[in-house]
Amino acid sequence: MQADLEELRITQKELENLSGLDVNEVFIGIAWRPSIIRYPKRLLSFLMTEVFTFGLILIFCLPIGLIVARSFGGLTGDASSTTQFLQVSLGVSVAIALLWNLYIWQKGKSLKMLTHLLDEVDKHNEIIAAVDVIDELGSVKNSTISLIDRGEVLAALTATRESLVCALMTEKILRKHKRFIARRHELFTNIETNLATLQHLQVTNQADEYGQLLNEALQIGMSVHQELRKFER
Amino acid sequence: MKYFTVLITLLRDRTLFLEEIRQGIKIESKIISLLISSSIFFAIYGAIIGANSSLPQVISSAVKLPALYLITLIICLPTLFFFDILFGSTLAFNQYAALILTTVSIISVLLFSFAPVTLFFLVSIRDYEFFLLLNIAIFALTGLIGVKLFYQGMQFVTEANYRTFKSREPLVKLDQVEDTPDDFVKVQDAIPVEDKSQRMRTKLLQFWLFLYALVGSQLGWTLRPFFGAPGEPFQLFRSEIESNFYQQVIRIIFTVLGFQ
Repeated sequence: MQADLEELRITQKELENLSGLDVNEVFIGIAWRPSIIRYPKRLLSFLMTEVFTFGLILIFCLPIGLIVARSFGGLTGDASSTTQFLQVSLGVSVAIALLWNLYIWQKGKSLKMLTHLLDEVDKHNEIIAAVDVIDELGSVKNSTISLIDRGEVLAALTATRESLVCALMTEKILRKHKRFIARRHELFTNIETNLATLQHLQVTNQADEYGQLLNEALQIGMSVHQELRKFER
Repeated sequence: MKYFTVLITLLRDRTLFLEEIRQGIKIESKIISLLISSSIFFAIYGAIIGANSSLPQVISSAVKLPALYLITLIICLPTLFFFDILFGSTLAFNQYAALILTTVSIISVLLFSFAPVTLFFLVSIRDYEFFLLLNIAIFALTGLIGVKLFYQGMQFVTEANYRTFKSREPLVKLDQVEDTPDDFVKVQDAIPVEDKSQRMRTKLLQFWLFLYALVGSQLGWTLRPFFGAPGEPFQLFRSEIESNFYQQVIRIIFTVLGFQ
């Protein structure tokens, strides 16, 4: 891959830095990506993980169940009590596996915006891979295949990359300050009240140094107000 | 299949892996990967030792062997964590879990590497007592190597953490401050004598390893049979709860040497 194209790719490491989560083709942290359904290989990887997880739950549930059942005399050693024990242990294992998946699903719901962005990143990287293929084909002697406006394509990809990086960073900030954002209406009212107070103080103290400081405070207040206004929309 | 990639990274560059654990890099994914990969290796070895008896024993041992190692870990982990933080450790619970899992994973890989040898003796020598003793030797050897590596790993991580803590520069250089207030404490002087805590943690670690071995062997005894006695029908568990692991090992050695 040519250096200019390589630079445009959004690597997994970069994604992890930008999102603050462990991201790969199948998972975001411990939550799975909905896009796995579209790719058989990813779906297989996901199914294998599910099997391993269930196996791991069984490994913990069966022996612990065995020790508990023996201690309370629920396991006498005959076939019927053993069958009953296995049925209960398997049932508990399935229930734990379902609860675990439910938990992951809930967790995944809060990452909806990020999953969309990651899908877009995948598309971006796929376009880069396609340009690389065209480049390689073009480098073959006597080849007629070439990207006519390579420069323009690269400019467009640069813009896309920048937008994606910005979006990922914003998403991370919004996710980290979720509780803050949930209180945004209350905060917005507070900030407006504070702004009114600042404006009032500024009018009465325009002449002295104190007034200058107030002016600066007012500027900060206005900026915060504007930012929040944008966010409100 | 990223789980095995994590394990291979651990085997190839243990120092880097431990450093990542110390810094808290991708701890959750490390824990999940090591849990899954070590369980698979233990299950394979468990199935081999169970093959000495019958098919149900194969399945039973494939579940019991990973459980033995992982449940012992769960039982002993809080002791290590709380005692260590009491003596000044700054590591988090998941970092401890990852550290112990590296040991368990190394043991699982070592056991897996012995699998062809065990399989060879299983096929070539149909002697239950010898097979039992051979496996005890393999478990002891892999366990000792694992424990040694864990010991080194813990020393590496806690000492590196301590060095980082000690090398921190004071926020204000006092000689540059003209009027130092009386209540201003020199930061370097405020650092407690950490060496003492470090020594204490080392002793604690040794004690913990003893505890781990004790819990592990007793749990193994509770979960038996792993091998399945020859000529006897399959048993999910042994109904008798008499004697203990160590008595049984001595008895087997005596039997093999012909004293019984």
